[in-house]
Amino acid sequence: MSEPILSLGHLSKTFGALTATDDVSLDLRPGEIHALIGPNGAGKSTLIKLIAGELRPDSGQVTFEGQSIDRLGPAERARLGLARSFQVSSVIPDFTALENVMLAVAGASGRTFGFVRPALRDRRLTDPAFFHLAHAGLSGREAVPARALSHGERRRLEIAMALAMRPRAFLLDEPMAGMGAEGARDLTAILAELKAEAPILLVEHDMDAVFALADRISVLVYGRIIATGTVAEIRANDEVRRSYLGEDA
Amino acid sequence: MSRGGALANALVFAALVAVAAGADATGNPYIVTLATKVAILGLAGVGLNLALGYGGLVSFGHAAFFGIGGYVTAILASHAAAGTPVITFPFTVAGTAEMLAIWPAAILVSGLAALAIGALSLRTTGVYFIMVTLAFAQMLYYFAVSWPAYGGEDGLSFYVRNSFPGANTFAPLQFFAICATLLGGAMILVALLTQSRFGLALRAAKENEARVIAVGIRPLAVRLTAFVLSGMVAGLAGALFADLSRFVSPAMLSWHMSGEIMVFVILGGVGRLAGPIAGAAVFIALEYLLGPVSDHWQALLGLLLLVIVLFAPRGLMGLVARRRHV
Repeated sequence: MSEPILSLGHLSKTFGALTATDDVSLDLRPGEIHALIGPNGAGKSTLIKLIAGELRPDSGQVTFEGQSIDRLGPAERARLGLARSFQVSSVIPDFTALENVMLAVAGASGRTFGFVRPALRDRRLTDPAFFHLAHAGLSGREAVPARALSHGERRRLEIAMALAMRPRAFLLDEPMAGMGAEGARDLTAILAELKAEAPILLVEHDMDAVFALADRISVLVYGRIIATGTVAEIRANDEVRRSYLGEDA
Repeated sequence: MSRGGALANALVFAALVAVAAGADATGNPYIVTLATKVAILGLAGVGLNLALGYGGLVSFGHAAFFGIGGYVTAILASHAAAGTPVITFPFTVAGTAEMLAIWPAAILVSGLAALAIGALSLRTTGVYFIMVTLAFAQMLYYFAVSWPAYGGEDGLSFYVRNSFPGANTFAPLQFFAICATLLGGAMILVALLTQSRFGLALRAAKENEARVIAVGIRPLAVRLTAFVLSGMVAGLAGALFADLSRFVSPAMLSWHMSGEIMVFVILGGVGRLAGPIAGAAVFIALEYLLGPVSDHWQALLGLLLLVIVLFAPRGLMGLVARRRHV
């Protein structure tokens, strides 16, 4: 079995009396979609924040591509290729599609402090940006402000930005939240596309989507992982059925 | 920058130069001085605009940097006149009456102050940021009031305007030319900055902080840099302002001054390059035209500000140039 891209070792985080993350260990292997499911308040978002560096764990380690990233802040982790997406559509509405992707290229390069050369004439920014936009199917839409793009186009823009970061792993926190059935279908195709680029740790509520897409599933209840396995294993797991899926699952 | 925006910016600058040159040719030195005041206050506004307009950092304490620039100028000039050193420990700093030596000193000291104030206040956002920047500026204000060595409450005068090689700085038009050149230079600098990689990150951080972090950029570093640059420009404006009246007082550091600089930016158009100049010009023109008529001319200014904010939220420049970020 290949080395995991991302692995969590015994992560714990408490907020006062509440244990949001309780001795969580899991890993993300190359080429997989690893879904994280659990009832509301199970600590899924806290766990994603611990991985992204927005929260610091009380104990435990996060290892990314073989090196410890415990001391790095969220921006540094992003620059290493840990790509985070948000529940809400997350582009800069006033920027054109091209400028949005250029921002991602600039961020990934780690060189944000150029003061004189106009960014739009800097081919080290524009060339990769044009490439990623074309790749995401947005050729000809480069000069359109993101606010004027259709919902689907904006999703594609987000993908272009994510790919411009040269991601090594994706953290997707409920990407289907607030989307209609059509949007969810759209996103299913997008996830397949992202998976070709890098493995995905997916937090998702929509069980149909999770069972359709995930290679492995971890079930989080009260901050603890009670089971990890393939779709079939999770479906068959008695404890999971009792505590989360309900008798009809 | 869009072509229309660049043209509008150039026109505002050209109009200011034309007013000064025309007034000088027709023997109205007072109008030249007013135009100089517009250039200087506009420069302070251009500085604030970098933080407020492009970075979304609503600083209510830019009088701190404006006033520091002014005090650095007055302190150096008064020591030069008295022939005494400014400090003797740990090294000796002599006074000077050379603008070319005073400006870098004013920019450096106000930049260091902006670094310290920014590093602390940028950890807060929204209304807290406004209040923290105000608090720092007021601390400096009260410090200046209670510092007898440099005039305390009464302020500090120096009788000879500082000199610039090859120029007679007492000739109103020549001093205007110096101020206008610096203003033009600052406008070009800000235009370059906002279009650069750095500007891209700064404008993005204003709109969507989480997104900026997600692409691997630390917003605090970007904002602090913008805040320091902004403070430096305001400090240079303060140095020129001190030379304009050959007098500084704690009023330069007060929250009224912070508010005025902010009014220039909002009147002219937040995030518009020449906006603060247009704003300062309207402010000074109202003061000049209505001041003699009524002491309550600022009530009219308040009314105008209300109309602008309600009906032209992009300011005066927004009425002529449509695209944002010009």
